[in-house]
Amino acid sequence: MPPTGLEPARMNRKKGDKGFESPRPYKLTHQVVCINNINFQRKSVVGFVELTIFPTVANLNRIKLNSKQCRIYRVRINDLEAAFIYNDPTLEVCHNESKQRNLNYFSNAYAAAVSAVDPDAGNGELCIKVPSELWKHVDELKVLKIHINFSLDQPKGGLHFVVPSVEGSMAERGAHVFSCGYQNSTRFWFPCVDSYSELCTWKLEFTVDAAMVAVSNGDLVETVYTHDMRKKTFHYMLAIPTAASNISLAIGPFEILVDPYMHEVTHFCLPQLLPLLKHTTSYLHEVFEFYEEILTCRYPYSCFKTVFIDEAYVEVAAYASMSIFSTNLLHSAMIIDETPLTRRCLAQSLAQQFFGCFISRMSWSDEWVLKGISGYIYGLWMKKTFGVNEYRHWIKEELDKIVAYELKTGGVLLHPIFGGGKEKDNPASHLHFSIKHPHTLSWEYYTMFQCKAHLVMRLIENRISMEFMLQVFNKLLSLASTASSQKFQSHMWSQMLVSTSGFLKSISNVSGKDIQPLIKQWVDQSGVVKFYGSFAFNRKRNVLELEIKQDYTSPGTQKYVGPLKVTVQELDGSFNHTLQIEENSLKHDIPCHSKSRRNKKKKIPLMNGEEVDMDLSAMDADSPLLWIRIDPDMSVLRKVEFEQADFMWQYQLRYERDVVAQQESILALEKFPTPASRLALTDILEQEQCFYRVRMSACFCLAKIANSMVSTWTGPPAMKSLFTRMFCCKTCPNIVKTNNFMSFQSYFLQKTMPVAMALLRDVHNLCPKEVLTFILDLIKYNDNRKNKFSDNYYRAEMIDALANSVTPAVSVNNEVRTLDNLNPDVRLILEEITRFLNMEKLLPSYRHTITVSCLRAIRVLQKNGHVPSDPALFKSYAEYGHFVDIRIAALEAVVDYTKVDRSYEELQWLLNMIQNDPVPYVRHKILNMLTKNPPFTKNMESPLCNEALVDQLWKLMNSGTSHDWRLRCGAVDLYFTLFGLSRPSCLPLPELGLVLNLKEKKAVLNPTIIPEAIGNQEAAINPSSHAQLVGFQNPFSNSQDEEEIDMDTVHDSQAFISHHLNMLERPSTPGLSKYRPTSSRSALIPQHSTGCDGTPTTKPQWSMELARKGTGKEQSPLEMSMHPVAAAPLSVFTKEPASSKHSDHHHHHHHEHKKKKKKHKHKHKHKHKHDGKEKDKEPFSFSSPASGRSVRSPSLSD
Amino acid sequence: MADTAATAGAGGSGTRSGSKQSTNPADNYHLARRRTLQVVVSSLLTEAGFESAEKASVETLTEMLQSYISEIGRSAKSYCEHTARTQPTLSDIVVTLVEMGFNVDTLPAYAKRSQRMVITAPPVTNQPVTPKALTAGQNRPHPPHIPSHFPEFPDPHTYIKTPTYREPVSDYQVLREKAASQRRDVERALTRFMAKTGETQSLFKDDVSTFPLIAARPFTIPYLTALLPSELEMQQMEETDSSEQDEQTDTENLPLHISTDDSGAEKENTSVLQQNPSLSGSRNGEETVIDNPYLRPVKKPKIRRKKSLS
Repeated sequence: MPPTGLEPARMNRKKGDKGFESPRPYKLTHQVVCINNINFQRKSVVGFVELTIFPTVANLNRIKLNSKQCRIYRVRINDLEAAFIYNDPTLEVCHNESKQRNLNYFSNAYAAAVSAVDPDAGNGELCIKVPSELWKHVDELKVLKIHINFSLDQPKGGLHFVVPSVEGSMAERGAHVFSCGYQNSTRFWFPCVDSYSELCTWKLEFTVDAAMVAVSNGDLVETVYTHDMRKKTFHYMLAIPTAASNISLAIGPFEILVDPYMHEVTHFCLPQLLPLLKHTTSYLHEVFEFYEEILTCRYPYSCFKTVFIDEAYVEVAAYASMSIFSTNLLHSAMIIDETPLTRRCLAQSLAQQFFGCFISRMSWSDEWVLKGISGYIYGLWMKKTFGVNEYRHWIKEELDKIVAYELKTGGVLLHPIFGGGKEKDNPASHLHFSIKHPHTLSWEYYTMFQCKAHLVMRLIENRISMEFMLQVFNKLLSLASTASSQKFQSHMWSQMLVSTSGFLKSISNVSGKDIQPLIKQWVDQSGVVKFYGSFAFNRKRNVLELEIKQDYTSPGTQKYVGPLKVTVQELDGSFNHTLQIEENSLKHDIPCHSKSRRNKKKKIPLMNGEEVDMDLSAMDADSPLLWIRIDPDMSVLRKVEFEQADFMWQYQLRYERDVVAQQESILALEKFPTPASRLALTDILEQEQCFYRVRMSACFCLAKIANSMVSTWTGPPAMKSLFTRMFCCKTCPNIVKTNNFMSFQSYFLQKTMPVAMALLRDVHNLCPKEVLTFILDLIKYNDNRKNKFSDNYYRAEMIDALANSVTPAVSVNNEVRTLDNLNPDVRLILEEITRFLNMEKLLPSYRHTITVSCLRAIRVLQKNGHVPSDPALFKSYAEYGHFVDIRIAALEAVVDYTKVDRSYEELQWLLNMIQNDPVPYVRHKILNMLTKNPPFTKNMESPLCNEALVDQLWKLMNSGTSHDWRLRCGAVDLYFTLFGLSRPSCLPLPELGLVLNLKEKKAVLNPTIIPEAIGNQEAAINPSSHAQLVGFQNPFSNSQDEEEIDMDTVHDSQAFISHHLNMLERPSTPGLSKYRPTSSRSALIPQHSTGCDGTPTTKPQWSMELARKGTGKEQSPLEMSMHPVAAAPLSVFTKEPASSKHSDHHHHHHHEHKKKKKKHKHKHKHKHKHDGKEKDKEPFSFSSPASGRSVRSPSLSD
Repeated sequence: MADTAATAGAGGSGTRSGSKQSTNPADNYHLARRRTLQVVVSSLLTEAGFESAEKASVETLTEMLQSYISEIGRSAKSYCEHTARTQPTLSDIVVTLVEMGFNVDTLPAYAKRSQRMVITAPPVTNQPVTPKALTAGQNRPHPPHIPSHFPEFPDPHTYIKTPTYREPVSDYQVLREKAASQRRDVERALTRFMAKTGETQSLFKDDVSTFPLIAARPFTIPYLTALLPSELEMQQMEETDSSEQDEQTDTENLPLHISTDDSGAEKENTSVLQQNPSLSGSRNGEETVIDNPYLRPVKKPKIRRKKSLS
């Protein structure tokens, strides 16, 4: 239908017609991909593609295709050489290196660049000129065959090579390669129309080493040896029209397992893992059965393949008729914890086979339908497999997640509509990235997008019933499968593409219901609803007066108008009320059914018809209300903050049968640390019928309550006696029974309880000795010899428990953290950690869970000042070659160290890894962790924040990550977190820079900025500094008073003052200030050290300062200026400061002290100039605990 | 002569004294009797008119006398027992003497002879106090069927069985304690050894020996060690599988077991797994039936086919 052009197409879409017009002036019907040669050694690929296209317009003279990374040798159209141009604007987003460094600018440029090659807009990186000889041919709209020879050398994205460096052939080494990427990323490894909306049939050929297997989409037609018999060629045919973005490949020396239940399903794994593969996939057929049953539709492809590979890009990636999984999902029968996770991954991938692979989407704005449906049917599978409790728990979890994310970032829009008008151009202006393209999306946003999509599907189900919902799915699938069996007809194949309008039309056809308001609220609009509820009971009218307020002004919120279900549990039973939330109505009167309580003996009926006895003594005698729930079915994407009395929460926890309600009440009870709450929680903990996850969260709540009640708490530490009763021997209560994890509920509880117990604190805010001993005993007596299951997760959690028990070290002196002053409890903990970590080397646990926990625990010890803070250990574990979980845990510690110790060196190390690590997932994860735990943020001054870093990150996102959308978006996220949307504050203002250059090449503006910078920086330390400081705030404030008095009695020492005057003046002198961009924030520090060198008598003073800065290393003054203020308040002393001199110099203290005072006085003078920000700094110089004290006290006694 | 006797005597007494010193009460008694007999022999010799006698002859005579008297005693005992008595009577002695060819009638006269020498009674040495045997507990009285004349029961400790071997520790607590500390010791020793013999890392810069961490060593194929169960675990699994019944006997675990025997889907699954090998095993036989493209043989290159065609 060439004459229809683009306009009618858009009209069609609006009308909800299922017709789909391609944005391209041609239609692809068939594509051949042939990879002749794969070289693992050189990591290169050579091959060709052949696209069969039908022009749809007469004057087609240029054909745009997608291709990245590939080197294209030759393009022929119908055997005629064709000229081509390759232009990829995304390689470098911002050209001509302007000094622009603001993220707004970048995001716009990036969106524009992605648009420029977006296949959905008819664009592409590769532009092929149709040879003039063919123009006539084209005018007749006859078929064109485009043959492109290409090669790929050391691809950085799209295809990932894993080549272990051991002896032997590639097959023996377990070398493999697989395709990967975020959304449509097929263009990274062969030229194609990389769109989900351009379907065609496929012929795929891969010639590989004879010992290797090539797994790809569609049916394996035959495998043929090459002439030299050293290689074989795998021929695949995919007759079902499929988008290029759903094409995948995995080549490796795989072990092959034909599913014993379904012979058309084949599983592949890396050598030696076959037993694990057998176990892991033994369950898959049930998932198949489930989906086929609910969708009343056979699995659309004639075969299915699962491939488990190492260094996976994502845990699960679904492609047409095959899914690629991380090999780390494989597990043996002994592993409990991984089993449900892996099964969920399998089920997820299978759901996406139906919706996502088989049924594709028309455009990016229809993505939510696919993610929504696949997520929704996956949810149904969860409900069937793990039960309603698990399902509801999961829904609540997902709801909480999306609500938290939207409130934080300001909304997730499922169905963005673009191109209407300019004002609508950016429907997500609150975000630092464009949501026009999948490739510009932050990964986190995309995750949340998927989460919201399936929740909205559930809302639709609530409205139209599950039966209709499944009918709609079935309709979509059967239309698609009819279409797929047709020979090429452009119109028919578009039936396999889903669009929002088509989907909605199906819904209205099938159900006859109008869900437009729902769609408008949740799909066309971003934001969630925030309810605040409170109530009063009017006794005279016997009416419950419910007040429901909404916050719809904060970012990420929206106004809700419509029905809202409220469930009221009264004495006479549970009653549902549907309130109409309207514009101005806040108050809702709900008539109550029961008149207070007349017959006390009566059992109380619950929602589920069950009747229970309750002890009603706790409740208000005048009110028949037991508890109230707002939107109990989670049929609004909302956050509810509801106020009701503590006893109501307790009743809700004990008697409400819905796990979500139980969890809500547990959360609410945290605010009511009373014996009654304690009892309610303990009862829940003991109740075996109660859902195990509820019991687990009750543990943590109980720990919190116990801590709030610490002064009135009676009896043994919370949960101890319970644990003893449940898991310890009857005869010797201090010894835990030999492990038996046959009951998973008890297993999870047994794992969790000690972790929660370790959070208990006594009046001194220390973990009670009894608890620590208890946990150590658990570890000591842990005996897994007779257990059917591995106890690696259990042991790992015991280490987590040990880590949880660690409290900040009380530093008596500014001493270096050594073994000698190690707290005896910590010594015991370290003993265990050392042993566990070492045993892991000899007897590694599954997924090295124990190593991971040990590394985390060591970081906790470091952070709390028990062990010298040092990233070296973590860096060694973060190296390539360790198991990925270990690496991530180690990297997390390094990221944390970078933040706490403000280490420029480690930050550079991390950035270097982001650029060079062989594993894409690790690179992504580092960025992700840096974003979550940033070394500094945009509102904060930090010595790390300098121009070099800005340039580095800018380069990273501008050009360094062009091979991986996800990575680039991660870099953008990090840049946003560190510097915000506008120009980073640490850069010199461009205009001023000019002025300065014109002048004397010295930064004259600096005197006003430096002190502020310093002040900010100090302020910045405050929040990030360790909680332990809090404990020292009070002593400090006292001491400052003392100090003020002291200052009056100071003898003046002119020389001393002038010396310091000089020093303090220096930052504002022009001479120094030209170094400002890198070092001025630290300007004070070098002076400190010079002070240190110059005037030995002041050492104690300086040493305190330095200790606070805690670099832990000996540093020359120069170095100090480069890495200043690594503010680990607890950490180590610099070597130089004369802690040993303290004793020798007692007689000097008086004198010294006064000098010190003078300096302070001095600072005070300057403070006025410096905008008073120094003040923030001062507390710090004494916050370093007792040394300040020890220095001071002699002088006081004098 | 006297010299020789003296020397002999000296020699004899020397050896004797040597033996005397290491005497026991029985020896003492023996010596005392012998001394008395010697006195008797000597007085008889004096009676017979000898003024002196060689030591050896005295000894010989003493020996003879002793033998004679012993014989009388033995014989008398036999006679007395012959008549079912335990105490010899005079008549027993008489019969004995008669039997030995001794004219009993001469005996009174001989006893009353005038020139007889009266030997002073040997000095009453205190009955050597036999150290009282340890009496542990009361001697048991005879049970009624044993006549009272029978010797008393010995001390109870001589026949009451008191087993002295150390009881094997069967206390659950101690066992667990022991197993735990044993394992811990082994693990610690092993890891320390490994740490000593290889590279280490330390949490403390100043001290590398107290908490030595075996250095992290990257693997070439990290997922293998991470995913595959260790040999120990495999072994354990086999053991627990085979001894599933034994496991139930662990009393401490028993209640837990009972309550969880009907555990959920997971268990089902594990049983599925256990079936699995057999399933796939049985399928191995009919593998030819399975039409899976990945199991099909790899075809020969077409060129060859062409050749055969041509």
